[in-house]
Amino acid sequence: MKIKFQKDTLHISEVKELGAASSGSFRDEVRAILPTDLKTIEIDLSQTVFLDSCGLGALVMLYKTACAKNGGIKMRLLNPTPAVQQIFELTRMHLIFEIVRA
Amino acid sequence: MTLTPQVLARGTTFQSSLPCDLKEVRRATTTAAGFLADEGLSKEELTACELALVEACNNAIQYASDEGQMKPVEIAVTCDPAKVELRVSDHTPGFRLPDRMSLPEPDSERGRGLFLIHSLMDQVNYFRSDGKNTLVLHLIRTSQTNRSCRTNRQLDLTQANSRLVESEQTMRNMAKELCFRSESLAAIFRCSAELGHANSMENFSEGLLHDLLDIIFADWFVLRVVRQNGVRLAVLAISEPVMELEPLLISPAPDSIHSVEFKAAISGKDVYFGRDGPMTADDPLSAVIGMDSHGLVLPLFMGEALTGTLTIGKANSLQAPFTATQLQVVRIFADYLAIQIVNAKFQEERITQRLVFHEMEIAKNIQRALLPKSLPALRNFKLAGFCESAREVGGDFYDVLSLSADTLLLIVADVMGKGVPAAMFAAVFAATVRGLVLASPDWARQPSLLLSRVNRQMAGELSDVDMFITAQLVFVDVAKRELVAASAGHCPMLVGTVHKTEVLTVSPEGIPLGILSDATFTDEIIALEKDCRVLLYTDGLTEARDAQGQFFGQERLASLFKQSLASNQTAEELKKHLTRESRRFKSDTMLHDDQAFLILAEESGDVES
Repeated sequence: MKIKFQKDTLHISEVKELGAASSGSFRDEVRAILPTDLKTIEIDLSQTVFLDSCGLGALVMLYKTACAKNGGIKMRLLNPTPAVQQIFELTRMHLIFEIVRA
Repeated sequence: MTLTPQVLARGTTFQSSLPCDLKEVRRATTTAAGFLADEGLSKEELTACELALVEACNNAIQYASDEGQMKPVEIAVTCDPAKVELRVSDHTPGFRLPDRMSLPEPDSERGRGLFLIHSLMDQVNYFRSDGKNTLVLHLIRTSQTNRSCRTNRQLDLTQANSRLVESEQTMRNMAKELCFRSESLAAIFRCSAELGHANSMENFSEGLLHDLLDIIFADWFVLRVVRQNGVRLAVLAISEPVMELEPLLISPAPDSIHSVEFKAAISGKDVYFGRDGPMTADDPLSAVIGMDSHGLVLPLFMGEALTGTLTIGKANSLQAPFTATQLQVVRIFADYLAIQIVNAKFQEERITQRLVFHEMEIAKNIQRALLPKSLPALRNFKLAGFCESAREVGGDFYDVLSLSADTLLLIVADVMGKGVPAAMFAAVFAATVRGLVLASPDWARQPSLLLSRVNRQMAGELSDVDMFITAQLVFVDVAKRELVAASAGHCPMLVGTVHKTEVLTVSPEGIPLGILSDATFTDEIIALEKDCRVLLYTDGLTEARDAQGQFFGQERLASLFKQSLASNQTAEELKKHLTRESRRFKSDTMLHDDQAFLILAEESGDVES
């Protein structure tokens, strides 16, 4: 997993899997480094080949944390793979998350 | 992680088991997905199967019981051209599979796993059992042609379609359940009606259990019942009469026994067994039903008491485990059988009891017939006799044979043993003595000869059954005023007179009858003094014990006898005195041995009291 700042945007990429075993550490790692003056979180899911309900739970938790930060932080999910997109749609989370395709 | 891919008749199966750790899930499911990819599943189908497997494994691990965390999670994937079956076992307390899946609130971080499984799969079943549950998922494979052009709209269509399939399945299940519930009731009613005519509990339970097999799609059963007061579990009925099973010893419990039936009987809990269940190769059952079988053992209880075990199963490990409803039906049958087994036992016992009672009545009649109805009197000589049995019938008795106006023969005997056999031998002995004396009355004058003749006649029969008889024969001649006594290992007799204080203990030599066929006996002649008292008895009188275990004893008897002499008691009074004292001594203890005694007393009437 790669994490970098660009101005007021936190960019997370190279997330291979978001499953029961990995989502806990993903969530904690990202939450720990959320700077207060952040405007946007971008999570690049183009390399994420696997997402399960636990990974989904971690994204929801992150989304809630972001919304709760003073004034709210935008969270964008970038280029999810078809498998991951299918799960978003099955669980109707595509209506909640902002999903961006480049 | 162990991988055991194997080729089976119906489709191809992949099996794997993983430790109860979330980190192990992906490795196992990736391998399973690899197997499915080789089977030619489409990408979408692969993704769906893999995710469903992951969700199922995650749940199995996250909700595992403390004990379950030590056990592996098992995955079995079976694939044929039409469908894919995924099985995931868990050691969780189990959950109720909701009829309809709904999504949690959008901001909830949990609760999407089961929803995903439902959405991805065409059919979801969850089989709960004792400690181990199995989630069985089915995915209907789409044909190769329309695979490539699947779009989101089609996905929705597939979803709607799968829901339709699902509802159809639910309705089918409901219809099936209704069907076999009424079938099971019908089976019970039919068998109840047959119970009246069935010649045995075996036939009845066999018929009932064959019906059960048809109802729940099982292949075999073994019904065992508790026998010999809880010592053994004996087979009462078995689906294949050619199968042979030894009775299981349950009490005292053997040190090491690998038997699922034993386990269920002892624990009082259902025991499930199967491919990986607790049945081992040295379980006697495995030899009969095969290691591939799976099913369960139900202990049968009537109240608190174990009445037996019912084992029921399927022959092939590929067959689905019993559903919760099927298990319920098995339980209904088991409860019903337990009641019938107990009823049959009661009925059997009632019949046996009636038989025993009848037998006892016969023996009691024989014994009553043995005792003389009235005792003869010779001039001033009076007789009194007493006989009581520890059980309803016994081997002690007395007899008096009147020979002439001046002579008679007194007989007291004790057959070793109690109950019916002892009473029978007492009867044979009495008849033999009577027969011999009737044939030649003179033999009565020499009781020792009479004893040796009786002994010769009965020794064979007595030693065949390891029984023997002690007896005392006393020839009384009131004209000559003498007694001739002979004894076959019998306790001594007491002789005294109201005019003296000392008591004579007469104990002629001789061994009991039935030990040696050529045994000899001796006669002892005792003069009959004026106003004499003679007491013949069996050792049941002297060997009676009180509550503290003290014997009544020869000395106590002798002193009672002396008291009686001193107070010039008649034969009848002495009898009452002895009976009273003996009863008082034993007070509240059970009568352990038979008792008999016979008193001869000269009651001249010219003695001042």
